[in-house]
Amino acid sequence: MRDRDVSLLRPYLLTSGRTEPIDRNLELETQVVTSDLGAASHAVLSFERRDIVALCTKPTSVAEIAAILGLHVGVARVLVADLAALGYVAAHRPNADLAGDPAMIERIIRRLEAIS
Amino acid sequence: MKPSAEPRTPTPVKIIIAGGFGVGKTTAVSSISEITPLRTEAAITTASEDADRTAHTPDKTTTTVALDFGCITIDDDIKLYLFGTPGQDRFGFMWRDLVLGALGALVIVDTRRIDECYPAVDYFEKAGLPFVVAVNLFDGRLSHAVADIRWALAIGDHIPLISFDARVKLSVRDALLTVLRTTLARATAPLA
Repeated sequence: MRDRDVSLLRPYLLTSGRTEPIDRNLELETQVVTSDLGAASHAVLSFERRDIVALCTKPTSVAEIAAILGLHVGVARVLVADLAALGYVAAHRPNADLAGDPAMIERIIRRLEAIS
Repeated sequence: MKPSAEPRTPTPVKIIIAGGFGVGKTTAVSSISEITPLRTEAAITTASEDADRTAHTPDKTTTTVALDFGCITIDDDIKLYLFGTPGQDRFGFMWRDLVLGALGALVIVDTRRIDECYPAVDYFEKAGLPFVVAVNLFDGRLSHAVADIRWALAIGDHIPLISFDARVKLSVRDALLTVLRTTLARATAPLA
């Protein structure tokens, strides 16, 4: 059995019964950044929402948010989508066209080659 | 890190690392990730499938699957994420999400359990995602001839088949470079 304390009930409560995020396609690598509004609203947010706003003062991926805060991936997505809809965070989604951009791929190759 | 007045948000890109349990996905991510690999859980809700031959999973209909990931900062503008995902069929629901926008995939193979990677190979082929098959050298040597492995996997000659050591950073780097060069070749190839 897993030793994590993520119960089956808790995620439902966190997301007010919704299991689908507003944008169900929010990618795991989406970069989440707290907005000025989010930073200023810290005190009015509760629990996980506040944790996310506090965590994302520097760009953080949805996957990292889930891992660091011990949330299911699906829950993290819902919470981030909620916060983004309210303007507390900005969600910078990946650009799918980049995957086919030779200049971008070459740039990544050059940088990786430099790793020692 | 000192926050700047206007923090720059990097563009995320990703490579998928797929393979059976214990094949070296997490090790590979650990070897090269600049952060300690993180693990999160995605819920699976499925009727139990008879495909689960190993029968190690408890017979419940909701379970969780670990998703390991790490990242490499390419430069100020690009951050490369590595997502490790189980290679078996019953985790296929995760691949749809993961494959979207991915640069490519590294499918890690354990030659003792070669069949565990068939579903991932099938899926990436159908999805048109560039991928490379990599045999993890657990004890530093190849237990089967590469040609035999290629035959067993039924992959065409156009799919690179390499061996690597998931524990060694530069070996993992080279495996990722093979993936990226495959992606680049695909991106620059004239349409067939």
